[in-house]
Amino acid sequence: MAGLLLSSTEKVFIVHGVQEDFRSDGRSNIDYRPMELETDVVSHASGSARLRLANTDILVGIKTEIDTPKPDKPDMGKIEFLVDGSANATPEFEGRGGENLASSISNTMQRAYHSSQAFDLKQLCIVEGKQCWKLYVDILILECGGNWFDAVSLATKAALFNTRIPLVKALLMDGGNVDLQLSDDPYDFKFLDVGSAPLLVTLCKIGEKCVVDPSAEEESCSVISLIVGITGNSKSYCADKGASNITDVDIKCSTISMNGPGSLAPKTLKNAIHQGM
Amino acid sequence: MVKPNSSSSVQYCGSLSVARTDMVSQAKGSAYVELRKTKVVCSVFDPREIPHQNEFRQLGQLYCEVKFAPFSCPRKRRPYVPDVEEKALSVALRQALEPAVCRHFFPDYQIDVLIYILEHDGSCLAAAINAAGLALANAAVPMFDIITSCSVAVIGHQMFIDPPEIEEHIAKNSTEVNPGIITMSVLSQLKQISDFTQIGSMDVECVTKVMEVLLKECEIIVPNIQRVLVVDVVKNFELKKHLEAETKKREEILKKKMDEWRSLLNGQ
Repeated sequence: MAGLLLSSTEKVFIVHGVQEDFRSDGRSNIDYRPMELETDVVSHASGSARLRLANTDILVGIKTEIDTPKPDKPDMGKIEFLVDGSANATPEFEGRGGENLASSISNTMQRAYHSSQAFDLKQLCIVEGKQCWKLYVDILILECGGNWFDAVSLATKAALFNTRIPLVKALLMDGGNVDLQLSDDPYDFKFLDVGSAPLLVTLCKIGEKCVVDPSAEEESCSVISLIVGITGNSKSYCADKGASNITDVDIKCSTISMNGPGSLAPKTLKNAIHQGM
Repeated sequence: MVKPNSSSSVQYCGSLSVARTDMVSQAKGSAYVELRKTKVVCSVFDPREIPHQNEFRQLGQLYCEVKFAPFSCPRKRRPYVPDVEEKALSVALRQALEPAVCRHFFPDYQIDVLIYILEHDGSCLAAAINAAGLALANAAVPMFDIITSCSVAVIGHQMFIDPPEIEEHIAKNSTEVNPGIITMSVLSQLKQISDFTQIGSMDVECVTKVMEVLLKECEIIVPNIQRVLVVDVVKNFELKKHLEAETKKREEILKKKMDEWRSLLNGQ
């Protein structure tokens, strides 16, 4: 993103390569780069994950807090995203420079997790109407190597998978006020069901074709990219349990948005969405 | 009780009821758009230097800001400080307008597009994009094409075009098969989609179907906008002719006076 100077010849090389389904690092248009994922890296957070996708490095930490649910949704918890681009990533992020990018990533994530079919907020409820868990998902961009949206969504899903929600041991109802006692045992917690948590797939339009997982050089050759958020099939995530009592959810789009100063022909949009699925 | 505006046989109706330019006299260009009950005012100002900017950029920037009036929303009063929703709308508006404007005509400058939503009854982004497109044209900012926008809410098996706020709220929180809202903005002549946002959980066939509906719907709005722009241009031409006629008259009077004084001076 920053300090990336590509000559026009290099750009032409990348564009022509993409037309032949062959990218500069040998991948095809639909291949991802190798990624390393590590969970439970931050000891003070309820859940954390670190994802390294070639040059992109994302660290996600999740904190849980007790909060009152919204009045029109008494049995649902809350989830809030905050994206922080640290100046380590690129000097452009210094101060408030990274705010635009950060707000667009957090908006997309918020939209993707909005639907109850994507992430069920009912599992965060403690006492209906009075207490619920609020998850603060803090995403830190450590290094920029292209393809933030995918990396952020992958790291978030891993961190949510890793999140430990303390179990409520005792409950005192004192005339409207609720007094909670959380279990002291560090091994006494429950995990969240993230089977259908959405993953974002970025399709970057270069020339006539769309590529998945663009590197930073490929991103600078493209004018527009399409981000599709796909909710998974929860059946494929629980291997041994009685899978018969879990409904078969088809893959669905939980959010679609475009990014970049360009535009798409409607046919290209349709093909790209199909490719993303 | 929810009253569906258009049932499963989708009715294509242009819900853009009012569109006017030259609303704000202080701005270079402005527009007022009503989409059902949603009322939006947009003003566009002259290009100015980008503040806090060191490097030179080949393309001009668009600075978009969307603001809700405190009395605009049905459920609660909007605070003065811009909240997450306003910032998200501003980003989305910028995303939609960037491909339409010829940014190479004002390198290293920025054009301010300021939107003020007076009443929020659903489809805010669609109304804002329509208003911004009109205002930019009114401000004589060079553009590639007319930009129009529309949104559809899907609840169960029914599609509602340009949903009012109640339907949007239901669509966002529904647990039926395919709940969701899609907003799309289109550059009509070039047949390009400049922005496509979807929220909710929908499968691919539903998304493709809604896209078809939205394309047709956006095309319906175009003649209305063209009419407004033509009226605007004709009005400006007539104003120019009128001004020129006035100028000629004044010049005649001045010339006569000058001749008088010259003859007086010479006669002295």
